Amino acid sequence: MFDVMEYHKKLRESNITLVYSGPLWAEGIGGFATTLKKRLEFDNLPLETAQEVFSVFVEQMNNMLMYSAEREYFAADEMHSEAPKGTFIMGVRGSQYFIQTGNMVADKTVNFLKEKIDYLNTLDRKELRQYYKQQRLENDNPDSKGAGLGFIEIARRVSSKIEYTFTPYEDGYTFFTLFATIGGEE
Amino acid sequence: MGYKLEREKTELTPYVLIDEESGLMKFEGESYHENIFEFFKEIREWLTEYLKTDFDAFTFDCELKYFNSSTVKVLLGMLLEMDSCDNCDKITVNWITTKNNRIIIECGEDFEEDVENLTFNLIAN
Repeated sequence: MFDVMEYHKKLRESNITLVYSGPLWAEGIGGFATTLKKRLEFDNLPLETAQEVFSVFVEQMNNMLMYSAEREYFAADEMHSEAPKGTFIMGVRGSQYFIQTGNMVADKTVNFLKEKIDYLNTLDRKELRQYYKQQRLENDNPDSKGAGLGFIEIARRVSSKIEYTFTPYEDGYTFFTLFATIGGEE
Repeated sequence: MGYKLEREKTELTPYVLIDEESGLMKFEGESYHENIFEFFKEIREWLTEYLKTDFDAFTFDCELKYFNSSTVKVLLGMLLEMDSCDNCDKITVNWITTKNNRIIIECGEDFEEDVENLTFNLIAN
């Protein structure tokens, strides 16, 4: 049997207050968003910090939707629809929030993601705003689904650099984790 | 009778009102559906056609509290379309938010810089 108590204890020790792991699709994200908002309300955060946390959540969920290489199939669904899978974790340490996500990506997207995040990490707040503004204009193409903007938005909301790891998972796939801190001391 | 559209807001999508007769388009609430382009498709199609007509005045009230980066692209696309139409001087955009909503204010400031011809009011109460 899976050790739920051990899991519970671990989450508590790590100051993790919210976890989601499973298929990612719009309506599911909407439901979890309600939970997350309630959580932020309970914590009685200043509007700005709450918005920053929420924004990182939305954009990172969307990033996982786009780049996750692991799919879950809905057996009950005649359309045989599928949804990408991912894990989302939120925690609080003092006045600082942290968001951690994990999902499988195809090996070929690793460099693309790495370069993107590394570049964003070299920019300061003002430069990020400018870069965002410029990228927004790049293409108003429905197929791009706003790709790329999401990571810039995250970089604008975090209080320190975006951290990440890429760990070889299985043939052709790598496990991607992203770590972002929000609020607290700048 | 002009085109009229009213959509109730959901967790992921905003309240939308379009009333062609009174020359009004209004968005309210939040917008972060992963496929927001689909949500705004009909609205954008209507807008493109409407902007070609000889309207007297058109007001766009945007009172969104939060939106994702895909929505930013949709909004920018609509604003640029409004800004470049023949009747652009008859268009007023009211970007309505609250004083403490820095993210939305900043986004409004950036949009204000993108448009040249229409009237853009940034209202932070």
